[in-house]
Amino acid sequence: MAPSSSRPTAAVTASDLELLRKFEPVACYTRGEQFFPTDVDHYVRECSLWEHHPDGRDELLVRQGELTLDKLVEPRFAEFGSVRYLRFIESLSLSESARVMADQVALRRKLGEYFHAGIGRLARGGILPRLVDGLFSLSFLLRGKVSAATAAAAELDYNDILSEERKYTYYGRVTHQSGWTILQYWFFFCFNSWRSGFHGVNDHESDWEMITIYLYEQDGQLIPEWAAYASHDFKGDDLRRRWDDREELKMAEESHPMIFAGAGSHASYFRKGEYQAEVNPPLPGWVSGLIHTFDRIWRETLGQPSINAFHIPFVDFARGDGLRIGPGESHTWTPQLIDESTPWVGQYRGMWGLFARDPVSGENAPAGPMYNRDGSPRGSWYDPLGFAGLDKVPPPPQLQIMLSDNCAQVSRRQQELYTLVPQIVAELQEKGARQKGMEGNPHLAKQYVALEKEINTLSAEVRSLRREQSENTALLQGLTRRLDHIRAGGQDNPRAHIHDLAVPDDPTLVLRFDRAAETWAAVSLSFLLFAIASLIFFAPGYLWAGLAVILILLVVIESFLRGAFVQTIGRVTLILAMISALILFIHFWKWIIVIVLVIMGLSLMYHRLRELAG
Amino acid sequence: MVKRKKINKKKRPIAVTIIAVAIVILFLIRLYQVYEPLLLNNIFKNGITGSLFTGWRLTELGSAIFTSATYLFLSLAGILVLIGFLRLRRWSWVLLMTWTGVSLIISLVDYFYSHPNYAVMASNVIIAFALNITDVQRIYGIRRDDGTLL
Repeated sequence: MAPSSSRPTAAVTASDLELLRKFEPVACYTRGEQFFPTDVDHYVRECSLWEHHPDGRDELLVRQGELTLDKLVEPRFAEFGSVRYLRFIESLSLSESARVMADQVALRRKLGEYFHAGIGRLARGGILPRLVDGLFSLSFLLRGKVSAATAAAAELDYNDILSEERKYTYYGRVTHQSGWTILQYWFFFCFNSWRSGFHGVNDHESDWEMITIYLYEQDGQLIPEWAAYASHDFKGDDLRRRWDDREELKMAEESHPMIFAGAGSHASYFRKGEYQAEVNPPLPGWVSGLIHTFDRIWRETLGQPSINAFHIPFVDFARGDGLRIGPGESHTWTPQLIDESTPWVGQYRGMWGLFARDPVSGENAPAGPMYNRDGSPRGSWYDPLGFAGLDKVPPPPQLQIMLSDNCAQVSRRQQELYTLVPQIVAELQEKGARQKGMEGNPHLAKQYVALEKEINTLSAEVRSLRREQSENTALLQGLTRRLDHIRAGGQDNPRAHIHDLAVPDDPTLVLRFDRAAETWAAVSLSFLLFAIASLIFFAPGYLWAGLAVILILLVVIESFLRGAFVQTIGRVTLILAMISALILFIHFWKWIIVIVLVIMGLSLMYHRLRELAG
Repeated sequence: MVKRKKINKKKRPIAVTIIAVAIVILFLIRLYQVYEPLLLNNIFKNGITGSLFTGWRLTELGSAIFTSATYLFLSLAGILVLIGFLRLRRWSWVLLMTWTGVSLIISLVDYFYSHPNYAVMASNVIIAFALNITDVQRIYGIRRDDGTLL
């Protein structure tokens, strides 16, 4: 059990609000962030309520300016396949779009909060991910998306809300499960501007983010043990950090964990920095299968590090150099308690913003804290322990008791086995002696066979019990060692449970030629397109070969700028060698089989003759 | 007599020897390719008798000399790589891998568009795979001792 003396505590008798306030986080945003946690009441009053019908029709249910939280949860009939959603920004005409975008520029100039990407995500990924990224961007032509004008209008409207009343809200929920007291902090944002504001994956109206703190009870006090932050790319055990893991979980004033929020995405990170969020576009099953097979040969047979050209490295900027909200900061929280009985939490299952008709869902608004987009219950709400992989972890005081119980149980079984095994062995030996006495007497053949069966059964039983005894000895040793370790106040590695640790990009790791690499990253894809156009025009007969050569050239130039020329040239040559080997096999498979058989025959003969010669 | 102990001497893997033999064979082929155009144009017998250019274009003689010079350059480059390779130099591995890559591109383009040279393709495949062997890469400083790429 981890020593708890240095940890902040709260009395078991503390109210839910007191508990939430005691451990409320400090949220650190990136400079240039446009949206901060706000209250849903104000937001809903700015929205209209809509219903998207299965036949493609969109029906206005409540007009903007007439909607309230009470009206939002009024019972309304909905047919199967319909989608209910809010709309923060109404459809904009061309002139309105131009105006809001101009106003957005003016607002940013006034606020003076600019975001600079630095070495952007393009320079961090290679040419192939960039190519996939280009296709991903083009996919927005087919998918539904939130327009840039909508993002601009949302920014303007949010600033109006903020200027009316500058308050930052979190929605706190306190619940109890399996010995744990669980504090959930839900943050609501009017808009997710990751794509339009910070070169990210998606934009959507409204955004819900959440962090959870897990406390256990000891001597009438509640002590924090774990904190879990919801994130894009991680789940289960990887989401949580132990309270005393100061390297990972930063603290303000001892009891307030710090959140470093991704710019635009608002995803919560434990450490400040710039994170590569990898997006894997959906691929057909057979393509994934081929990639998987290639990857196995590449890694296991050829010993090369894995390459995934199909993931797109989007950067989530969680720099923490902007506005800070929380205890000890110039801006503080306005907490509001929620639970299942809060009407807008439990009774509104629709989306909290525009339904953009994006089949991949990245641009559709999320649903509320209790529900997924399809209206099904949200795992983090009904199973907050399982959400962070804590369903299998007992609270520390129970752990010691459970270990003691386990030890006692195994010891008891060992005692039973110490008595049982000799008894069965004695019986077995007696039967063995009797069987030996039957040998050489043909008239006892039937009894002999029956006895042999009994002996075999007993033998198997003894073997199984002895195996159990041996395994129990090892298990008991392990359990006792663990119990002693915990009794002595020993601590486990705080990160032993993490399989995939979110690590920000190393700021000291620079590209070989920063500026050149960045410029190259910005223009290389266009060069590729120009080259394709030139090939089509000047040498259409050599289109595919030319394309392959140009692509290889671009990859090699890129690798030179990144200081990875040697690795790249090795990989490119290997891929070419694999293609050539395949061609050779297709044309000369008979010869190849004959040569392999002859070599195998000669080798076998050599080894056998050596064996004969001694 | 006390035998002198070899200290810190890197053991050369068999693949290095195979690659070295392949380079020697390629060198001999290239050497033949240096002489072939010169012999066909009787340059050894008569010397350079005609002009090498007609306007901006090469004459047949000029083309032969140019081809021969190109192969001479490749042969000499091969020797340079071989020396570095036998002395287990990192740069020779990089140069050879680059050269093999370029050669494979040419072979593949030939395969898809004209007459493939399967022998060259096969030798390049063997060299590429041999250069990728962990022990070979370790000995040339491409991989660390724990097998990770440098």
